[in-house]
Amino acid sequence: MSGGHHHDHGSGHHGHEPALHGHHHEPGFIGKYIFSVDHKVIGVQYTVTALVFLLVGFTMMLIMRWQLARPGEAVPLIGSLLSQLGITHAQTGALTNEGYNMLGAMHGTIMVFLGVVPLAVGGFGNYVMPLQIGAKDMAFPKLNMMSYWVYLSGGIVMMASFWANGGAAQSGWTSYPPLANTALSGQTWWLVGMVLLITSSLLGSVNFIVTIMHLRAKGLSMWRLPFFVWAQFVTAFLLLLAFPPLEAAGVMQLMDRVAGTSFFMPEGLIVGDKPTEWTGGGSPLLWQHLFWFLAHPEVYVLILPAMGIVGEIIANNTRKPLWGYTTLVYSIIFLGFMSFIVWAHHMYMTGMGTALSTFFQATTMIISVPSVIILTCFIISLYGARIRYNTPMLFALAFLPMFAIGGLTGLPLGLAASDIHLHDTYYVIGHFHYVVAPGTIIALFAGIYYWFPKVTGRRMSEFLGKLHFWPTLIGMNMVFGPMFFVGIVGVQRRLWTQTDYQLGQLTQYWVVFSSVGAAVLGLGQIPFILNFFGSIFAGRKAAQNAWEATTLEWVAAPSPPPHGNFLADPVVVCGPYEYSVPGSPKDYCPQCQTSEA
Amino acid sequence: MSLLAQTQPMYWLPPDYSTHGWQIDQLINWIHVFMAVLFAGWGVFFARCLVKYRYRANPTALYEPIKAKASKVIEAAVVVIEVVLLVAFAIPVLAEYKNDPPKPEDNPFEVHVVAQQFAWNIHYPGPDGKFGKRNAKLVSDANGNPLGLDRDGDPDAKDDIVANNELHLPVGRPVIVKLTSKDVIHSFSVPMLRVKQDTVPGMEIPVWFTVKEGTSSDAIRETMIRTVSVPPAGQNPRDFVMWCTNNIAVEDIKGADGTVIVGKGREPSAEHVEALQKAGIGEIRVAPRHPVEIHCTQLCGITHYKMRGFVILMPPDEFEAWYAEQAAGGDEFIEE
Ligand code: HEM
Ligand SMILES: [Cu+2]
Ligand SMILES: [Cu+2]
Repeated sequence: MSGGHHHDHGSGHHGHEPALHGHHHEPGFIGKYIFSVDHKVIGVQYTVTALVFLLVGFTMMLIMRWQLARPGEAVPLIGSLLSQLGITHAQTGALTNEGYNMLGAMHGTIMVFLGVVPLAVGGFGNYVMPLQIGAKDMAFPKLNMMSYWVYLSGGIVMMASFWANGGAAQSGWTSYPPLANTALSGQTWWLVGMVLLITSSLLGSVNFIVTIMHLRAKGLSMWRLPFFVWAQFVTAFLLLLAFPPLEAAGVMQLMDRVAGTSFFMPEGLIVGDKPTEWTGGGSPLLWQHLFWFLAHPEVYVLILPAMGIVGEIIANNTRKPLWGYTTLVYSIIFLGFMSFIVWAHHMYMTGMGTALSTFFQATTMIISVPSVIILTCFIISLYGARIRYNTPMLFALAFLPMFAIGGLTGLPLGLAASDIHLHDTYYVIGHFHYVVAPGTIIALFAGIYYWFPKVTGRRMSEFLGKLHFWPTLIGMNMVFGPMFFVGIVGVQRRLWTQTDYQLGQLTQYWVVFSSVGAAVLGLGQIPFILNFFGSIFAGRKAAQNAWEATTLEWVAAPSPPPHGNFLADPVVVCGPYEYSVPGSPKDYCPQCQTSEA
Repeated sequence: MSLLAQTQPMYWLPPDYSTHGWQIDQLINWIHVFMAVLFAGWGVFFARCLVKYRYRANPTALYEPIKAKASKVIEAAVVVIEVVLLVAFAIPVLAEYKNDPPKPEDNPFEVHVVAQQFAWNIHYPGPDGKFGKRNAKLVSDANGNPLGLDRDGDPDAKDDIVANNELHLPVGRPVIVKLTSKDVIHSFSVPMLRVKQDTVPGMEIPVWFTVKEGTSSDAIRETMIRTVSVPPAGQNPRDFVMWCTNNIAVEDIKGADGTVIVGKGREPSAEHVEALQKAGIGEIRVAPRHPVEIHCTQLCGITHYKMRGFVILMPPDEFEAWYAEQAAGGDEFIEE
């Protein structure tokens, strides 16, 4: 491997040394910015791509929210344009019900697999983790590059599926057979896209695990790792262990669709008044087991990196050590393990027996305990603090109550009896969005504001940051809060309009309110976009250690860090959050003694 | 805000007409109380810290970890409460509901529901109480045989009653619904009876419940009467149309000269708006045609959003009469 290397004496690392030796070639433009093997460039590529996908996924949702508030009326501005994609009526410009299903399936897929995970793991993990552990790069830089390009191909395949015969996939992000098996060709594209995305994640996760195990700086024992690194470490294991079953399942569904197998197809299906050609003998529920065996751990893949980010920012801006660091670490490890044995709580309505459901109810209650512990640790960390209310901290603090709402509302869904009423209603949509949007997305914003000075050497505007924070927080709650009430009344999800139903009519006013919230949320992102691009070029210059932080990326690496990251090998002397140590001259003690440049 | 003015919105659980539903509701309510208490506890501590420990207010942050007994107490309390919810409520409620099918001596009424894109086929056994075999080879919506019954060859099928989207049920008598699907997975959900069960092709899954004695669709409709305002000329009638969809006028709506604009029991729609405006009628009273609706809660294809059925609840004697009448009608009843 040809990763560039400044002065490696091989001294800073224990364990095995990656094949980084060799002559240092300064790469050309393409090698430096496009097909780069530098974890920082790859991290930025991931971040920018994922942000674009988040915007795309959000725009889809704005179109859907318009339809929900104003069923059957022309989508403003772009209604006729969208008919090119086959999702609106050519004459009226209104979203069609097929179009709604396509956008719904693609919104879910894009947000999870092309937006949040790539940003949280591919972006933040890639950029920050090696810096925080004092590594010069990832263990396998080329694998890292490959992971990005496979991800991008998966994204392109997904988006291209809108031009497939019959349009994009419309069977939900869950793609349950037999529906998905009998769907038009967009579903095949979806499966191919998923196989690529999963492959990319697998490549990435192996790399993360090896890097964290083997490339830590001298003195950086596991118990001195920043919480963010721990979160990435557990996340990588979840990806590694949970994705293969879905990859297999994806290939099986692909075979059912194109090669005439019958893995998920029972006998005697009659679709559209005609017998189907599948021989039968398969099980539609098998897919659900394989899918949720991934998709529940995936929930923790969406949330753990967010918790990692929040932990860093809280420690930094409370100016005190994280309360209960060890407990936090054990809690996320425990979460990781438990997340593999709760998956069937998504399947209580499939006719599961009471013995099995008792098991899954019990594991689900158990897994809620570490989440409660994590939240409690974060909140207790505020006690006795000296809180700096900068933009990253505002977002990190907002994460706490938002995640609390998301987590708590999982309880009635985790008990099969209450789930009878709530399953597949808007209550579910409210629940998981509080986890992933006001929860994870808010934490990811916090992370962007926090590490931006490291990546660019410049600060983002605090004023625009606050102008971004408040409408985002308020907008998110306006969008998702009402969903609990719509759901508890009993309105089901994935409807083109709910106004044909009694219960839907009685809650339609909430739907309108929620759509107004989506507009607020959308407008609230304008200051962010201005701030992001404006600050790259015109932001105030930041010091190397812009936030007076303790961890290696701030104390040992310039901003932005050069190829190879550190000017001298850092030697770690203490834990990650030595803030306000009594008797020390400053209110923070760097994790290593390499002097600041 | 005209929406709010027109009817009393629903804020929480919808009314429940089943005998088991109160237990589900009770569980949901208790969990929400628990959630609210925990959230408020965190919230108070959180908010206090945010104010008390802001940068200016506190010259030095605390390095030593505090001995937070509170956290141990919270965690222990959470564990205890969750165990109680699980062991004292969730598991027994479910067990009672799922493991305890109606016994033959309770005279349960059995009916089959076969879901398909995008309709509910209802299959009653007819007077002989025996269900005819459903043969996939004979299924043909086009020929009026959506269930694939062999009316000529199968004696059990001769008197079977088949209906579309309207499930008539007696109140006060245990009901067993056996669910399956012809094509994809659907989910049979009746929120106002607290019933939900996926219908999976290739499987037959039963659910059972009893509707509270003394209720009926007619009685429920009376409780759901709402006033809908007629939009003034020039205003988009969208709200009016929404509020009237699947609703019926509860009385004859007459113009000044006594002509009936919308008859009692008819659904007002956009085309009535002009006449109503001309007659100077500002408000009309409507109620759901069939207040207890069947939802399909599993995404099942293009017009999933329209896969709606109705449960029509009848007092036992009325139901018997209706059933006999359907049986006498025989094949003629079959809807396309
Ligand atoms: C931030 C703005 C967002 C808004 C306004 C939004 C809104 C919605 C709404 C209204 C639905 C339900 C649609 C329906 O049932 O018909 C939905 C579904 C969904 N959303 Fe979001 N969402 C947002 C962000 C996210 C994020 C960040 C994620 C994931 C990380 C996400 C993942 C999903 C998934 C998986 C579904 C289910 C899709 C399906 O039914 O197959 N959403 N979203
Ligand atoms: Cu789950
Ligand atoms: Cu359906």
